[in-house]
Amino acid sequence: MRSRLLITVLLILFVLPFGLLGLLAVGEEWRFPEVLPPAYSLEPLRGLVAADNDLLGGLGKSLLLASVVAVLATVGGFIVARAIAGTRLSARWTALSYLPYALPPVLLAVLIQPFIIRMHLSGSVGGVLLGLLLLALPFATLLLGSFWSQRATEYEQLARTLGCTPRQALRRVLLPLAAPLLRTTLVQTFLLAWFDFGLTNVLSVGKVRTLTVQVFMYVGEANAPLAAVASLLLVLPPMLLLLANKSALLRKP
Amino acid sequence: MKPIKPIKPILPLYALLVIGLPLAGLGYALLGSVGVVGPLAEGFTGQYWQALGHEPGLAYAALYSLWIAGASVGISVVLALLLVLRAQATLQRGPLPGLLYVPLVMPALVVAFYLFQLLSRSGWLSRISFRLGLTNSLEAFPELVQDAAGVGIILAHVLLTFPFLTLLFQAIYQESRLAELGQLTSTLGASARQFRRRVAAPLLLRRAAPTVLLSFIATLGAYDIPLLLGRPYPQMLSVFIITKLQRFDLRELPAAYLAGFLVAAGLLGLILLLLRLANRSRIEAG
Repeated sequence: MRSRLLITVLLILFVLPFGLLGLLAVGEEWRFPEVLPPAYSLEPLRGLVAADNDLLGGLGKSLLLASVVAVLATVGGFIVARAIAGTRLSARWTALSYLPYALPPVLLAVLIQPFIIRMHLSGSVGGVLLGLLLLALPFATLLLGSFWSQRATEYEQLARTLGCTPRQALRRVLLPLAAPLLRTTLVQTFLLAWFDFGLTNVLSVGKVRTLTVQVFMYVGEANAPLAAVASLLLVLPPMLLLLANKSALLRKP
Repeated sequence: MKPIKPIKPILPLYALLVIGLPLAGLGYALLGSVGVVGPLAEGFTGQYWQALGHEPGLAYAALYSLWIAGASVGISVVLALLLVLRAQATLQRGPLPGLLYVPLVMPALVVAFYLFQLLSRSGWLSRISFRLGLTNSLEAFPELVQDAAGVGIILAHVLLTFPFLTLLFQAIYQESRLAELGQLTSTLGASARQFRRRVAAPLLLRRAAPTVLLSFIATLGAYDIPLLLGRPYPQMLSVFIITKLQRFDLRELPAAYLAGFLVAAGLLGLILLLLRLANRSRIEAG
């Protein structure tokens, strides 16, 4: 009985956001004190496929940025973690990798903004990409650091002893061994970039309109239907990732 | 046979990006706070540091952020502990474990927007209470978002943090074989309550301490949620700094740099503490 009650309460708590956002997205003229919208319209959703729709552009920008950040951070993190494991001061390097964690992304953006302006990257996708990499690369390095243990080095040496070239050892031994962790890193760094609002908003000076920036913009304009559609679009890819691989969402460095 | 050699300049390049750029930013903020750099820099001055004593804005923002972070993480830890220690059977079967993953896919900004639509005076709960006759106007509904105590901000952070902590505590519970330990303490005469209070809760809290502190730091520097659910005064630290930086009056910039520098330095200190804690728990775990 108590167990059912608990599940019901948590079900309401976690499913209600999707229900309310869905109603906001399709509800028309929904004002106080109406509990449910007096009329429904698919206009905001239909507008999505219109050629000049900002939301679709925002979705594309968010997908592109998050994917590029995920790939670059995962590949870079794999290489850097390897290099760190090979140094005598690996513990110090690992500790230093926590530095970007100490600062909230938006504060990090404030600190690096003068340099981004000097590099003529302010308000550009390149500037946002650099800022996001500043967060995602050390995250990936810390996450992938656990792979470069004594065991991985021994496997690699064994493969080389058995005649593998360095490239073959990487492709046939190390990458398959690291595949689950690489997948997790890819998912987590994608989400890190996908969820970001503060850093993107500061470094892009509002010019790179990713989905999170658009949600904020629509909220500011009191355009609840479009803010709800943008919010649902934001939740969609992580939801698909959750269905595909639950454990990839939880692991922390 | 030698293993593949790492590319040599990779670590200096990594250091330049990940450590050099933020530290350079920190240095720039420090120089900006003493009037050496910045658009209106007129040479070294200590006036902005001296003004700290007269201008309580930063101190209020820091205290307000500490309250929000403490309350959010505190409530989340209690809820997660209650779930793991009192609803263990439910956590191991049924839809609950899957349900707890749902908030992990929700961006903070979306949670803030949702809670605004739910809890504001014209929001969904207010409409329901009006229909049920519990309130008779918009104003009769309690202020749950953009309120002075930050109830909305705390609720949003709890909604995002407690499921994650529950999953973490549950993983530690299973990894530490607490169920078996519970049976052992029971054969030695301890009650279930004693086991929960004296064995399980301290063990879970000690093992999860670094992550709990990381959640505290993340909440302390939160931006998206307080931006939507907070008031213009008092503000949380990140919102306070960004608001100062984005003002049209460029004379405000040094004070904003000073706030940025102090907050960043404070958070760096907290991260150092976190690293020590993490090292200690790693040593304890063997």
